[in-house]
Amino acid sequence: MGLSQIAAFPTPADSVDDKTVYNRQLTEEKPLQVQIAEADTVKENVQSAEPNPVAFPKDLEQDGDDFAVLKSLAVGQKTADAVRASKAEQHLRDDSDSTKSRRLAVDYDSTKTGMEYPDDPESFRQVDGTPLTAEDIVQKIATKIYEEHDRGVFDRIVSKLLKLGLITESQAETLEYQVAETLQDLITKNAKNNEIEDLEGDYPAAKGELTDQSQATDESIRRSYNVDRQGDDTEAASDKDEEDPEPGDEDEELGGDAAAAAAGDSWEREEEERGEEGDGNEVRPEDGLQDLQYFPNFYRLLKSLDSDQDAQERETLITIMKTLIDFVKMMVKYGTITPEEGVSYLENLDAMIALQTKNKLGKALGNPDFAALAGQLPDDDDNTKQEAARMMKEYENLKDSTKGEQPPTEISQPGKSETYLEAIRKNIEWLKKHNKEEGNEDYDLSKLKDFMDQQVDDYIDKGIIAKEEGETIKRIYSSL
Amino acid sequence: MKQFASLVLFGTLAALAVVRGADDQEISYEYHRYEELGKALVSVWLQCPSITRIYTIGESFEGRELLVLEISDNPGVHEPGEPEFKYIGNMHGNEAVGRELIIYLAQYLCNQYQQDNETIIDLVHNTRIHLMPSMNPDGFEKAASQSGEIRDWFVGRSNAQGVDLNRNFPDLDRIIYINEREGGANNHLLQNMKKAVDENTKLAPETKAVIHWIMDIPFVLSANLHGGDVVANYPYDETRTDSAHEYSASPDDVVFKSLARAYSMYNPVMSDPHRAPCRKTDDDTSFTDGITNGGAWYSVPGGMQDFNYLSSNCFEITLELSCDKFPSEDALKTYWEQNRNSLVSYIEQVHRGVKGFVRDLQGNPISNASISVEGINHDLTTANDGDYWRLLAPGNYKVAASAPGYLTVIKKVAVAFSPATRVDFELESLVERKEEEKEELMDWWKMMSETLNF
Repeated sequence: MGLSQIAAFPTPADSVDDKTVYNRQLTEEKPLQVQIAEADTVKENVQSAEPNPVAFPKDLEQDGDDFAVLKSLAVGQKTADAVRASKAEQHLRDDSDSTKSRRLAVDYDSTKTGMEYPDDPESFRQVDGTPLTAEDIVQKIATKIYEEHDRGVFDRIVSKLLKLGLITESQAETLEYQVAETLQDLITKNAKNNEIEDLEGDYPAAKGELTDQSQATDESIRRSYNVDRQGDDTEAASDKDEEDPEPGDEDEELGGDAAAAAAGDSWEREEEERGEEGDGNEVRPEDGLQDLQYFPNFYRLLKSLDSDQDAQERETLITIMKTLIDFVKMMVKYGTITPEEGVSYLENLDAMIALQTKNKLGKALGNPDFAALAGQLPDDDDNTKQEAARMMKEYENLKDSTKGEQPPTEISQPGKSETYLEAIRKNIEWLKKHNKEEGNEDYDLSKLKDFMDQQVDDYIDKGIIAKEEGETIKRIYSSL
Repeated sequence: MKQFASLVLFGTLAALAVVRGADDQEISYEYHRYEELGKALVSVWLQCPSITRIYTIGESFEGRELLVLEISDNPGVHEPGEPEFKYIGNMHGNEAVGRELIIYLAQYLCNQYQQDNETIIDLVHNTRIHLMPSMNPDGFEKAASQSGEIRDWFVGRSNAQGVDLNRNFPDLDRIIYINEREGGANNHLLQNMKKAVDENTKLAPETKAVIHWIMDIPFVLSANLHGGDVVANYPYDETRTDSAHEYSASPDDVVFKSLARAYSMYNPVMSDPHRAPCRKTDDDTSFTDGITNGGAWYSVPGGMQDFNYLSSNCFEITLELSCDKFPSEDALKTYWEQNRNSLVSYIEQVHRGVKGFVRDLQGNPISNASISVEGINHDLTTANDGDYWRLLAPGNYKVAASAPGYLTVIKKVAVAFSPATRVDFELESLVERKEEEKEELMDWWKMMSETLNF
């Protein structure tokens, strides 16, 4: 039996076992089962002492006849190997983990030139090198966002964390929540000290977006209402995307959240910003017109009715609009429509007013000049509004064919948008018809929108569609 | 000034109204440049997002995406047992009709699906259709940039490097002809395909992209669209004896003729026996019923059609769709009407012959198993889910499934014209057989040792 050869392997320990093995030679041949059992034990011992027992089964294999021993040994070998392999894996994993955490601080490059250690608010260590606590991190991020008026700070950090696998998606959401709260506190604290010049509106934009992003929208509305009730004059979710440097669909969401919030919020701060327009006198909150400040075109319309004979007309219009807004608010509140839908109705309405005024009355209300307000020039935002206006125009044309073709307001990609709009509409109609036929409940527009947004992003990544096109498509979907 | 009030109300209603789009299903028959091509495909996707997906197989030499629109009830996924089909157009950039027809086909399939066309719905649910309007977008741009008068027979034909893509594929015809004489494999002739392709510096990026595509997806049937004549051309394209014209039959000559006819018979121009040749000097003596063997017409080495058949399971034919390679735009509608039914009918051909799964005794799929048909010297292989599709003309056949380490199984099958006959195979592995034997041996040993006490 090859078992005797085991004794030949140098083993530092287990001399007793060696003797046992050695002595076994002198006994009679034992029954098969016992041999198998002994072979197992011996093998275990040998393996623990001898790191490379690979040769040993080979020796046994030379025995040939005894399938049972072979089989059991082979099985045992496999499990031992597996155990060893997994242990090595664990070890490796630990190594890679520690590498990762080490790398994070080193690799993380600050977004602004000149902002180096130790002052880098985006590093994950204190000045003295001790690791930060969770609260510290949240505080740091919130501070940085506040100082830079840049919500992108948060995104950058979180995406780095996610990419490195240090946090999960749900942890990212929680982090966002916490940062938003901290930011809110920061704003509250600082608002008391700083008045107009600090409140350019960027960080409220950030806060508004933060709260909107991953929370349920009604929760964010609640939050804005809370903010409102705290009686803090100076803060509110931003009403517009104009302060937001990030383009694209975030605008829509922000707009969505903001408008819904705006529908119920006071706008004193907004009011102050617009003070330069000289409208302040007409629309003090005491007038009860705070809701309507969100509708710049309507606003201008009102402005243009400032003569006495128009006073009654003004009143009528104001009443109508307020009723509308209340109506929409109610629908949102009772869940008849989603906040986004409510917002887009209102947005479209405002754009429609601009158009109608221009067409029917021959006077332009002027482009909503957000740029002047915010001191920035976001092209995307203008496109959003113009896109909405253009889409309203399309609806109009389809409804009333006696109207002549009207030149669209400035549009970046007229042909494409129309074609895409057409295609999307066909799909929605088909979905409606299809679901009706099958007796399903109405298709879920928000699910479809989410799915399409995802697909669009994927296609942009792969170079199948250009970023602008993708944004157009997303805008069309969110305006539905 | 009551206008203001009515203005607001009207605006409100408009804002809250559900919009009805114009019910216009017309395809617009015009040439699509690169951007417009992308836009057209995106529009189809936007209209039918639940059954379509756009992807790219790579970039042309000048960096244009080689776009594909996939149509299926589960886009992006190979459903086990569902055959894969492709149309490729415009590999010669100045042969423009095919490119446009594929775009119109995409629009047509989407529209018809939404209008409850049963045939199209069935087709979409049971096939995975891949549409690539242009394999040579760079060449097309060159050709399209010329003004109508001076459109040359050659400008824009080759890719941006000057490579004729339909001569650029590895020439496997040479190898099959040797194997026919001296014995050797009758299928999947490109050894170490991935390596051979990646290391071959003579391959254009477009060619490489298509070869990878063929390796990735288990295509069953395809056609590549050309212009300059009107006929459905089938393998082999390259003559055996290097002569300029010689009928060069493949082992599946019968099937290919049937497939080619399935296209030509619905195209009134192609199938017209009295059609005058495109040019007076043309020799179309090899054309019958609107079809022709490739070699009989003229010898083409390195073509994509034969490459498909000899490197993979895919059967491909070449469709020449117009005498004029780049006709004027107002002719496009006519071309569409001439080809629409053929294009759909040809896709349906994928549901013919024999198909099924090859599995082991535990029900696990066996991929890369061999499917051979007695009397036809061309074997196929099963795909990752053990699924296979063997196109056959009607008749009685013996079909064998085999795989290394397994015992071969042969079954007799009667094949109708359509649909495909389902034949599954369960193979017993040799190891299983050996294991059984070992077990018996062990039992015997145990019994012996217990009895005799050793």
